[in-house]
Amino acid sequence: MRPLGRPFAERSGPRATKVIRVALVSITLICVWLSVRFPYEVESGLERFLNGPDRVNPQTLHQRGEFVENNLGPTEDPSGGVTVRMIAEQYLFVPQCVVVPVEVPIRIRITSADVVHKPTIETVAEIKAVPGYVVESHVQFAHAGDYQMPCHEFCGPGHYAMRSFVKAVPLNEFRSLSREARRTCAAR
Amino acid sequence: MLRDRFQTGNAGASVARSAALCLVAMVVLAGPGTASDEPQPASQTPSNVSWTANTIARATSGNALRGLILARRCDRCHGREGFSSSPAVPNLAGLDRLVVWKQLDDFRSGKRTSFAMEPIAGGLSLEDFADLAAYYWIMPTTPDPQDDRAFPQPLTDQKNEAIAIKLITAGDGARGIPPCQACHGPVGLVTGAPSLATQNATYLLGEIEAFAKGKRSNDINLRMRSIARQLTEEERRALSQAYGAGLGTAPTGQGR
Repeated sequence: MRPLGRPFAERSGPRATKVIRVALVSITLICVWLSVRFPYEVESGLERFLNGPDRVNPQTLHQRGEFVENNLGPTEDPSGGVTVRMIAEQYLFVPQCVVVPVEVPIRIRITSADVVHKPTIETVAEIKAVPGYVVESHVQFAHAGDYQMPCHEFCGPGHYAMRSFVKAVPLNEFRSLSREARRTCAAR
Repeated sequence: MLRDRFQTGNAGASVARSAALCLVAMVVLAGPGTASDEPQPASQTPSNVSWTANTIARATSGNALRGLILARRCDRCHGREGFSSSPAVPNLAGLDRLVVWKQLDDFRSGKRTSFAMEPIAGGLSLEDFADLAAYYWIMPTTPDPQDDRAFPQPLTDQKNEAIAIKLITAGDGARGIPPCQACHGPVGLVTGAPSLATQNATYLLGEIEAFAKGKRSNDINLRMRSIARQLTEEERRALSQAYGAGLGTAPTGQGR
């Protein structure tokens, strides 16, 4: 007695079967890999997908990696931009006041030492600081002045007083400041 | 029928082979994320302690009975029950185990400097630290008039009280100063932050000054250095006096 439908292999040949099998297996494995590699998305985008999120250990930020004390604050990149590294923690953003130049692309790299925080630089940026991940944000200040940077995500009983400051100054003035002055706003 | 479909060629082996290949690829690709390739200056670590699960387990596994015997050598300065007779020496009674453990470790590694404490802590092991921490943790903080403890000291200036209560309960959002009670109790305690409810005034003032001037720098991630720097002379005095007078114990934060 003939089966109702002929087997796929008999109808299309072994080559097609193999192709489909390999495709199925690889799709499954890619799904597994994706769920291991990206447990949850911090930021979307092709760059993030290709490079993977930057991970840090929130408990040892002060001991190793790019968020050690003397690496925090603004630094000038060889490309001409400025990178600002910050830590968000209950109930502070450190360094608490940073100086940045206006009309220069600024890369803010921030991570959290405890819970999720959301530094908000007035109308310039709103960044989510997530423990375990480095979140990068690209901003540019059009006007010089003092900007406030409060936390915009409830993080505990001290949340409402959690605030740091960004001071945007012309590039010449920024260059004349020492590294320590750039991350303490000593003149303030 | 299903068997027919999957019996062309050596299907089992080929699936196994491709699966193994993919697994290897996964392990290779899922390695640590790409690190920033910029040069990084030598690290300046505030403390050798980090609050990993291992450290916390170690610091909280002390034997209070053994700590009781070890603590006899601390009596002279810190008092028999963890309350000092001098307002310049910290009270240890009731402090969280992690607090005592971390400070002892920092004294031993020289991250926190003290002529008295560095040699003492240098002669103790990590196990001793945990035992001492367990002992002081169970010491009561209730008042004892029979003792010669310095705490609490009467508050002399009423103006100081108003300034201190505002900073303790509300902080100062305009300057980014969080309320003291959010980390130092009674509202919240951040890991490694000491309760200030029964701390001595002179000691507190000295530590705030040391943080502000950078003489003490064993606070993880610049926490206290950032805050102390922002406090004015008047506020530092007011805060230490208010805590030294026992204002930190009251359930503050109401109607302010």
